Amino acid sequence: MAFYADKDYTQDEAVLEAANQVMQGNLSLHWYDANTEKIKGKPADLRRGLTYRDLDIGGYGYSSIPEYVRTSQSMVARGSEKWGKLPDMGYVINRKSEIWSDNVTSLYEEDKSRRWTPAVDIPWSELDAHPLAPEMEAACAQLYTFLQECALVSLHFASQWVPVINQDFIEQKSWMCAQMLDWARLNEAFRKRALYGGAGLKRASVTVEQGLKEWLFAETFYQGSVSINLSLGGFLLVLCRHAAAFAPSRVDRALMGYAMQDTARQASYGMGQLRYFLQHRPAQLEAIQEYVDNTEHVMLALLGSPEVLEPLIIISGGGLEREQVKAGGVAVSKFIRMAAREYFERIEAAGLSRRSARSRIPAVIDRIEAPA
Amino acid sequence: MAAEQEKFRRLGFIDTTFGVSVGHNGRKRNFVLEFEVFELRGVREVDSIDSTQVDFTIEGDAAVWREMIENIHRNGEADSAHDINTLAHFGERLKVVYDNPDGHDKLYRFMESIQKFFDLSSKVEVRFN
Amino acid sequence: MSYLATRNFLEDKDFVDKWLYTIRTGELDLSWMNANTEKVKPHQANPRRGLTYRDLDLGSYGFTAVPEKVRLNRSYAPRGAELVEGLPDAQPWVSRKSEVWAFNTESYYEEAVSRQWNVTTDIPWERLDGVELPETIGKALSQLMTFLTEVEMIATDTPALWLPRINPEFVEVKAFIASQAMDEARHTEAFRKRALTTGWGLMKASPMNEMALKHLRDADSFSEMSVALHLVAEGNVLTLFRFSEYLSPTDVDKRIFRLVMQDEARHVGYGMQHFKYVLENFPEKREVVHAHLDEAENISFAGAAATELTESFIILAGGGLKRENIEEGIKITTRFNLKQMEEHFERLEKCGMPERKERSKLFQMFEMGKAAAEAAGIRLN
Repeated sequence: MAFYADKDYTQDEAVLEAANQVMQGNLSLHWYDANTEKIKGKPADLRRGLTYRDLDIGGYGYSSIPEYVRTSQSMVARGSEKWGKLPDMGYVINRKSEIWSDNVTSLYEEDKSRRWTPAVDIPWSELDAHPLAPEMEAACAQLYTFLQECALVSLHFASQWVPVINQDFIEQKSWMCAQMLDWARLNEAFRKRALYGGAGLKRASVTVEQGLKEWLFAETFYQGSVSINLSLGGFLLVLCRHAAAFAPSRVDRALMGYAMQDTARQASYGMGQLRYFLQHRPAQLEAIQEYVDNTEHVMLALLGSPEVLEPLIIISGGGLEREQVKAGGVAVSKFIRMAAREYFERIEAAGLSRRSARSRIPAVIDRIEAPA
Repeated sequence: MAAEQEKFRRLGFIDTTFGVSVGHNGRKRNFVLEFEVFELRGVREVDSIDSTQVDFTIEGDAAVWREMIENIHRNGEADSAHDINTLAHFGERLKVVYDNPDGHDKLYRFMESIQKFFDLSSKVEVRFN
Repeated sequence: MSYLATRNFLEDKDFVDKWLYTIRTGELDLSWMNANTEKVKPHQANPRRGLTYRDLDLGSYGFTAVPEKVRLNRSYAPRGAELVEGLPDAQPWVSRKSEVWAFNTESYYEEAVSRQWNVTTDIPWERLDGVELPETIGKALSQLMTFLTEVEMIATDTPALWLPRINPEFVEVKAFIASQAMDEARHTEAFRKRALTTGWGLMKASPMNEMALKHLRDADSFSEMSVALHLVAEGNVLTLFRFSEYLSPTDVDKRIFRLVMQDEARHVGYGMQHFKYVLENFPEKREVVHAHLDEAENISFAGAAATELTESFIILAGGGLKRENIEEGIKITTRFNLKQMEEHFERLEKCGMPERKERSKLFQMFEMGKAAAEAAGIRLN
């Protein structure tokens, strides 16, 4: 895989001569009158600072990126003057519709401004002062073990695609870097919470991981984004809201409060990307529907794996007593219905119209009976 | 909110316009709150909330809103049984209505700031009609 | 290239029936509750620092306990979780600790998370309003910013390429890489934004440096990549940031360079610690790294022909295009170039590779350059 330069430059007369000329004061200034647009960007709103949107000007702006990026395969900054022999970095995503979303720059700015630090922003000591009952702590540990699996897969998804996206989509890549840090941070928070309570980590879930790997290994970014950003992001958002609503400790409430913000941004991007893709490539609608037909079953793995379902029942009901489990089952039934409803709302609003009518999930959800 | 600028700044940008609807004896009082950057730009009372003009609306009976505010006053901030997320979670006490899931998700993208805004009621004198 | 889960959950009657039964009856399996895992109770060693990854370095959960060769976990399971039959293979390419580890990795990550800054709001862009730099300085600054925005993302793309290939047991390393990816996106953003606020826009690309980027990207192993990227390239860039801060024509530029240099120092720190770890724990890699450095230094030297960068630096350093400005600029730039090379070999020596000087052509160039500079009255220190 290694790349080797075309020659030994320490022996190259041309290089040595060029360097010598400059260091003797004979500047070529070949760059001085670069053939580029002259602009002076400024913040539109001083309270907000200087955003990427403020620099969406002329040839420099993201609005002017064409659907097909054919003229750049190197890391040259969009809008700078290309010259000389530029290498091919091997980008495989060169079409805007495959990755773009109209909200990507605002999500990026929002993400940067809404950072948090798990080490100090979570009141960890509260668990020392108010430890949970053993069964509750074990349930939390299992839930957070599962959440680490989700966080790792989400991190991998952004990470595997960033390097192969054309550098002209710098705002998109920057957003994905922000997502990478979001997921690293959430993974950190989930791990810290799982361990701090003293119950240790619990069991990795075969069904969850098999499902997540199927989503992660989607053939294209836009398919993977439907799965990881929209479907998984949306599911985790509802889960974080549910966990916050039934939080057994202030630590969990605080953690899930931050997590819901991060996952909501992910779901928003997922919706925006699918919407943009279908608006610009309407002929792909049926292909995406078919992709979702084949991969939607993973949603059931997330909703139904015992490593997720059972701890949620315990946490929602408050314990393992019969009446608590019953109450937990009622709450989780509502949670599942809400997660499914919102999934269809998002994916249909993004352009997969009548998805709920086509999907096999509603029929399964309809069979849920809450505990009597 | 202006007095607590630093806290809101630390939480980050909040860019959302949402409605608050308070029901009582079959009638409703409706408010639209507009947040931008780090600030509350405006609050206005309206006869009805146009769902296409707001990201989402939080609806609830006056008794629930009162319970939340009183909880905030007692504790300095909402406890976990009385925060917006918990009260609105299943739509049984407070309900979140929206036209567009994009708008709905903004409630969660800015939840910490929105909750902190409601928690500010602990610092003002409140009377219930 | 896709993967199919070992079952379709919608078609798995047993799975669905069990799910519905559990919800309806409340009869929980609970076998996960007795997972065969350690029970540990972490404590915050320093409450002001909060709960850190180092506080979690306990028993089988800790990074200290990760063996040199990770044989058991190739799935997405978090380190220390109970592994069960049927977990998928995450296809990691790297499961050797000495390939990725560095002393203090977890602390570099924690520092990164706590020291995130925001280009949009933490740079006083409004202070540029009305600022009109002389044409020579403005263009030189824009050219420097063009170069920097061009190269910064290599330190996102390249580690990101490796992140999914690294065994999930190395969670702290993955976390650090994620933080670096964000750091570099932020740097790219800072330099692009600055270039587009000068009034001159972006300037010319740098083909010779693009070649270096390609070399960084296409390494045969993580260690080779890290030595070339974190140690060589980012080490050079760190020196460049320090000089650039010194040369900055406005206080806004000074602030930019002070902030980016904090991040860069962290990356170099990881690179040095990783390289030390490699040499101590994977001694067979020494010759491999030497060979990689031969190429990295070759390409680094080619940067001498990237006159768009050198000349803009001279103009900024000297303050203009007049003869006396250029003479002054050359003196400072010469010191900078020599400093870069000197610090490069210092880092390698501190990491445990003092013999690099003896076989490096770049070092020979450095010695010649230093002698020539001293003959011209330019002292390195």
